[in-house]
Amino acid sequence: MSPATDPALAAPEDVADLSVPGSLAGGNPAPAGRWTHRHLLDVDVLSAEDLDLVMQTSATMTEILARPIPKVPALRGWGVTILFYEASTRTRVSFEVAAKNLSADVVNIAAASSSVAKGESLIDTVRTVEALGARMLVIRHSTSGAPYLAAEHFAGSVLNGGDGWHAHPTQALLDLYTMRTHLPGGTVVGRKIAILGDILHSRVARSNIWALTAAGADVWVCGPATLLRGFEAWAASGVAGSRRFTVTSDVGAALRDADVVMALRIQRERMAGGLLPSLREYAARFGLTRERLALAKPEVLVMHPGPMNEGVEIAPDVAAGSHSLITDQVANGVAVRMAVLYLLAGAREGTARRAGE
Amino acid sequence: MTVGARFQQSPVGARLADLEITRAWLVDPASGREGPGEIVVTDGILEAVTWLEGPEAEGVDASGVIVAPGFLDLHAHFREPGNEDAESVATGLAAAAHGGFSAVCLMPNTTPALDEPSVLARIRDAAAASGSPVTLFAHGAVSADRAGAQLAALGELADAGVVGFSDDGSPVHSATLFRSALAYAGMLGLPVIDHAEDPTMTEGAEANEGLIATVLGLRGWPGAAEAGAVARDLAILADVVRDVPGARLHLTHLSTAASLELVRRAKAAGLPVTCDVTPHHLGLTDEWIAGARRWSWEALGDDGAARDPWRDGAITAPPFDPSLRVNPPLRSATDAAACLAALADGTADAIATDHAPHTEVDKAVEFGLAANGISGIETALGVVLAAVDAGRLTLATAIAALTTGPGRVLGDRPSGGTHGRSRGLTEGEPADLVVFDRSATWTVDAAALASKGKNSPLLGRDLPGRVLLTVADGRIAYEAPEG
Repeated sequence: MSPATDPALAAPEDVADLSVPGSLAGGNPAPAGRWTHRHLLDVDVLSAEDLDLVMQTSATMTEILARPIPKVPALRGWGVTILFYEASTRTRVSFEVAAKNLSADVVNIAAASSSVAKGESLIDTVRTVEALGARMLVIRHSTSGAPYLAAEHFAGSVLNGGDGWHAHPTQALLDLYTMRTHLPGGTVVGRKIAILGDILHSRVARSNIWALTAAGADVWVCGPATLLRGFEAWAASGVAGSRRFTVTSDVGAALRDADVVMALRIQRERMAGGLLPSLREYAARFGLTRERLALAKPEVLVMHPGPMNEGVEIAPDVAAGSHSLITDQVANGVAVRMAVLYLLAGAREGTARRAGE
Repeated sequence: MTVGARFQQSPVGARLADLEITRAWLVDPASGREGPGEIVVTDGILEAVTWLEGPEAEGVDASGVIVAPGFLDLHAHFREPGNEDAESVATGLAAAAHGGFSAVCLMPNTTPALDEPSVLARIRDAAAASGSPVTLFAHGAVSADRAGAQLAALGELADAGVVGFSDDGSPVHSATLFRSALAYAGMLGLPVIDHAEDPTMTEGAEANEGLIATVLGLRGWPGAAEAGAVARDLAILADVVRDVPGARLHLTHLSTAASLELVRRAKAAGLPVTCDVTPHHLGLTDEWIAGARRWSWEALGDDGAARDPWRDGAITAPPFDPSLRVNPPLRSATDAAACLAALADGTADAIATDHAPHTEVDKAVEFGLAANGISGIETALGVVLAAVDAGRLTLATAIAALTTGPGRVLGDRPSGGTHGRSRGLTEGEPADLVVFDRSATWTVDAAALASKGKNSPLLGRDLPGRVLLTVADGRIAYEAPEG
């Protein structure tokens, strides 16, 4: 069933127009299931089937992006507001390009978190954005859980563009997509994936733990003990059933025979917080160097969500080396965000239609 | 015959002219007795307490109407002066009465702080103007302006009638100042009530450090921040009592198994320390922040460790509800079980509500930006009775922790007004009691709360133990509507 005939996916008129100017199917597998989520707030609620649906839709979007004019009218007339309370270039621009490729009307708002104290509350801002015509809201916030508050007060769909240390769902989805497109067999099942760096403060690590374990990967998280606090308990708990992962401060153990290594950014503030002696020491003990990478499988894939501190968590020659997929991640980010916007729009239209029956 | 039908709908503050309750379950922690009985109140005086025996007692059990002494809350915030949008003395007293409390001790973190007698006078005026008969006590600040630098006007505050000293909301971080406060307050015959927290470990902290905070990406609030502060407090107390035998320490809202164990040992060693736990720390856990809504004892595994709400499929609400942000934070099921165990073995002397009303402006925001605190004085009885219903606490222990337990913490003071009263069902004294129906539930919703603070994580939930009548000082403080 193609999106055009699936009532949950296909919206009347405009959304169905995804199939023009070219054929949507275009040799791609049609979506295998039905998207039922109104919002994308976290990856913890996504099933393996949901992940497959996002991956397949992303593949369609990748194909659209390869066209001379990578633009479809799927979200024509849809207001998409991108509300960022935290500085970001990569993610904000990626969402903007994705929404524009789908012909949405995009509004960007850069808000300072500090204005919350004396100015407009998040709830008021969300209501205002809705009154101004937004049907989708992409929000980034330095406070964990803020998108849930937004979702409670917004009639449309909310996409979490990163909240505090909590979640960065589209990053995890684009990471998974990037891995699947580059791993032999197109799957992460059984693959050893090492995430190396500041796990404690990382929403990317948390979302990847959920997404990659759900997809069947063998996930290892690695970093200094001060930046792994609490994760041993999480790993031991087996949260959500069989989703196991391994926690270690032993870089060698984490990297040995890894299929994918993902380095995470180390921030200077971690030293002021007494969590690290120095960036130099971090680089010496945990930095992803060519020597360390040699422990992994010969065809290992190297990833980094950006922005990078080259020479700290990742050596410049590794970041720019032949194993690196870092620029692929950026390109895939647009496709995955197009897919998510499209699926959420379909779910909203489907809901509206069913409600009207 | 229903008890409610016996009551005239009288205005709050009116003398209870005449009340007769027959065939109810009386709980009198002062005499250590509970059982079927009857009471008669005439002209505000508890005239007769009759314990039924033999055939007369048949059919009366602890599952229906209960009569107990009025509850005493050691720890409440009524926000006046300074933040009357969140609560006033009048609405706070009404909320207390609705919760079955006939006496409350207010914390001094008002604006300005209660660090000198004029603020106390203002609060008492507001109480008098409210017409509520609920007895109002206050704790004075330990330090001037609660700034932690120098002592507040402790002697003047004692003369004016405060019942203890606390910088609650903040710990007394300076060990030197804390030592002085214990000695000086001890000289005055009053306890220091410490909010035990090492602030260097809790900067920016959002949720109990553990599985839930890790998974949700919330900044961890280590249990060691509390236990470490408790250990320091106890070490200083041990020093001070050698010089000042009257020195007394009360640790409020203890929330971890480790800190309660420290108090247990200190008590065994004979130190003059008491402590309380809150209803939310014994009944709720950090997994509520993830969206679970089960009681702490339902979240406890057979091995004594907290169960995993995700694995159990126990997530039933959206995560990050800011009404759950509180200091100290909601802890694990293991810690909540330790709070219950501490009440059972006497380590914890009292259940105190830490009633902390807030406006929507301060609370309906991002979890990490929300003000700390739960509006809890009206739901305390229900949470405690849920623990009793689940067999985690006996009814007698629960009632004692709400009456004679906190009464002992305050102690007897010559100038202490009425708080030296027995907190028992004592014939000949002005009636001071609560009547509630254990078999009747009520739904916690914003409209049902007399408090201005609607910041309760229990909104929408049914709680056992509908309060029918609260009497303070022989006068009606709260009376349930008919039906």
